[in-house]
Amino acid sequence: MFDLKKYRKKSPWILHYNAGSCNGCDIEILACLSPKYDLERFGVINTGNPKQSDIFLVTGPVTFRTRERLVELYTQMPEPKVVIAVGSCACTGCVFRDMYNVEVGIDRYIPVDVYVPGCASSPELIIDGVVKGLEILEQKTKEMEKPFKLFKEATTDDGIVNRRHSALKVGEDDAKD
Amino acid sequence: MIEILLILFAPILGGLVYGFERVVRARMQNRQGPPLLQPFYDMYKLIDKQSFIVNPYHSILGVMHFLTLWAVVAFVILGGNLLYIVFLHLLSVIFIILAGFSVNSIYSHIGSNRELLATLAYEPVLVMLSVGFFMLNGSFDISVIREHTSSIFPLFLLFLAFLLVIPIKLKKSPFDASEAHQEIVGGVEIEFSGVFFEFIYMAKWLEYVFIYLLLLLFAGNNIILGAGLAVAVFFLVNLVDNSTARVKMVHLVKIVLGIGVTLGMLNLLGLGYV
Repeated sequence: MFDLKKYRKKSPWILHYNAGSCNGCDIEILACLSPKYDLERFGVINTGNPKQSDIFLVTGPVTFRTRERLVELYTQMPEPKVVIAVGSCACTGCVFRDMYNVEVGIDRYIPVDVYVPGCASSPELIIDGVVKGLEILEQKTKEMEKPFKLFKEATTDDGIVNRRHSALKVGEDDAKD
Repeated sequence: MIEILLILFAPILGGLVYGFERVVRARMQNRQGPPLLQPFYDMYKLIDKQSFIVNPYHSILGVMHFLTLWAVVAFVILGGNLLYIVFLHLLSVIFIILAGFSVNSIYSHIGSNRELLATLAYEPVLVMLSVGFFMLNGSFDISVIREHTSSIFPLFLLFLAFLLVIPIKLKKSPFDASEAHQEIVGGVEIEFSGVFFEFIYMAKWLEYVFIYLLLLLFAGNNIILGAGLAVAVFFLVNLVDNSTARVKMVHLVKIVLGIGVTLGMLNLLGLGYV
């Protein structure tokens, strides 16, 4: 019986989310998919659908408006999955660090596997980051990973894990806080 | 014996066509493109992924869509009744439309609505196609049509109308508004995940097999003409896909109903007088 795990890294499908970025990194990500850099030769498709994707590319410091959507998208992605923070903003907050309307990077909310620095990160760096993410994707199990904030424990209905209400809205009661 | 083998391996054949098409499209855009077996890598990955079930009917209707389409392809290969095949194919489309309506997602509903409109546009052309074959060969049976000589010249206008249908069925530009990946994120397939999305993905391959088998009917018993026709249409469809923008749904219905049905009716009237 052949090992299904080795096919994970041959067809990574990407979900790209802009958490309040200036669009610089987003343009570089689109440049990766264009004919010059051609990420599709690794089997990458930009799906835009969380339920069918494996790699979560996030750009931008997390602004207050995007927090709920970030966690919501993360919980909607099926395991195994990899999160890549693209750009200095997504890694540390960059020049927006400690401002009143942004968070300090996305790793306050969801677990991040690969950090790609740069303002804006170059397409070569993004490709490197995605290929590094594929190595991590191969090691991952189907164990459910949890966001750190805005997250309620998933309930079980008849033995099936129900994640429909696991992402919280901002301001909703959270047992952990 | 060879028919049964063909039926069993029809999804794999469709996957190969799809993989080859992705390479061809990449080369047309001056890219390297994914490997030929990329659709199968996607398939293995999707088996390994976790799958979310939104509601049981949604998932079952997706699987039914795949199974019905496989039955359609099997009937075409075995040489069944063409009119019956067209309506069985309609049933498989109805299953995926119902699956789209069975969830709460807005995009899924829009996708289902558009799929319904597209069906409204191309279904008359397919029915007229089978009527044209009947008037020419005296039978709806595909096995009879395959024994007759090529019918591409008497049915040339219907062939042109059928060329309009191919991009709708294969979800190709300019008539891919019902899937529209950048706009409504796949339409009906949006809520499928894991193993259940794999059935939808494989149904897409079977759609390729079905459309190209219908195309081969125009060649009749002339195998060389059939191969030439399939290759030429394959490249034509991909060239048009790469060089045109998506049209709106209302324009799709107008173009296909206006031009396609007119061409079909003219052809049928002509056949009636000859």
